[in-house]
Amino acid sequence: MTDYKILFTGSVCSGKTTAIRSLSAIETVDTDANVSDSAIRRKQKTTIAMDYGVLELSENSRLHLYGTPGQERFKFMWQLITSDLAHDAEAMVLLVDNTRNDPFKDIRFYVEEFRDYLVRRRLIIAVTHSDQRANPNFDYYMNELKRMGLFTTVFFIDARDPAAVLTVIKEVMGSRDKSIDWPALTEHLVASKQLLAAALGEPEEVEEAPEVSLLDAAMNLRGITGAMHLDAERKELSSNVSSMQSKALLKSMVNMVSALESKIAFMGSIDSLVLCGPEQETLSIFLEKEQALGLCSDKGLSLTVIRDQAADLLQWSEK
Amino acid sequence: MIESLVSVDEPGVIESSCLLRGSEVLSSTFPADKRNHETVGRKAFSYIFTYVSKLRSKHDEAHLEIGDKRLSGFVIQPDMVLICLSDKSCSVVKVRNHVNEVRMNLQSEA
Repeated sequence: MTDYKILFTGSVCSGKTTAIRSLSAIETVDTDANVSDSAIRRKQKTTIAMDYGVLELSENSRLHLYGTPGQERFKFMWQLITSDLAHDAEAMVLLVDNTRNDPFKDIRFYVEEFRDYLVRRRLIIAVTHSDQRANPNFDYYMNELKRMGLFTTVFFIDARDPAAVLTVIKEVMGSRDKSIDWPALTEHLVASKQLLAAALGEPEEVEEAPEVSLLDAAMNLRGITGAMHLDAERKELSSNVSSMQSKALLKSMVNMVSALESKIAFMGSIDSLVLCGPEQETLSIFLEKEQALGLCSDKGLSLTVIRDQAADLLQWSEK
Repeated sequence: MIESLVSVDEPGVIESSCLLRGSEVLSSTFPADKRNHETVGRKAFSYIFTYVSKLRSKHDEAHLEIGDKRLSGFVIQPDMVLICLSDKSCSVVKVRNHVNEVRMNLQSEA
């Protein structure tokens, strides 16, 4: 029996757990826990350690499927999986959620994080959730990836569809193991999943994540005490900053940044302005072209954590 | 004063620095090609810390990220602000720790 491995990674909600479940012949091992960060805007459970499943490719070969947790705070698991469990994987499949405000930011991030791992293996990009947001489309991905210097294969898939996920596997394994009968495997996989679904009866209604506003999601984060959402013109859309002093300071920071933005565009874009002190809560403004987010946080919270949380909140907010 | 500022600059941490009293530059190590950063830092931090003191707040540190650079402002004395230019990739903690090391020198010479 020949054993192969593939690693799935990508942001929260990109479909890693679902893709592995779609393929696995065994009951998948997953490590879900209640969401306790900005991902609460999208789902209530998230992978905190890893996903694992097995796909029988043929009588003589099988594929072990590993999935990383999405959140950067579980980075220690990324290292454990890439250096140990899946150190000999054939390829890494990067799942990209097309509903994110900037999917390419995710691609840049994960390619950078897994740079060393990718030196010796293939990267495949699998775009998910394109039924919810069609753009960027395939051509845009190809052009943008070329511009980024990434010459890779891109698939648009529905992670719930075994046949779709199998096309990604075929791309990796097709040339590696010529003995696999792909049409038969697809037929068998689809049939077994249908059989399983029939045996289990009508699928339970998928519990939709309750509508959570950007401000509520921010308040769900450890150490965040207030938030302010601003539009492209840097006008306040909503705010729950209770301290008058903090609100006044945040507004003055926004005013200053707005005044500077157009004048110093030639120096680059202003990404953030942070104000801190030993006895005061930290005040930060994070700016994107279409929107901005102001945050009040405990003075002990590291600026890196605040920045990561803000980036995640802005990735799924309505502009 | 310029000698003290030279000790503020540290390869890999702080590229250039300048000391402000109010909005006036007392001393600076910003080279000519980084003069724009100095001007932005001067305007931004004098504005923000003036407002901070008007509201009687105790914030004494600010970081403004522009492109691949970061301007950091540290209140050294009530009317004195040290502005540092660093790479955005350099950690804020590193910049802060280095400024804390040279803070006493700057205060005594002010």
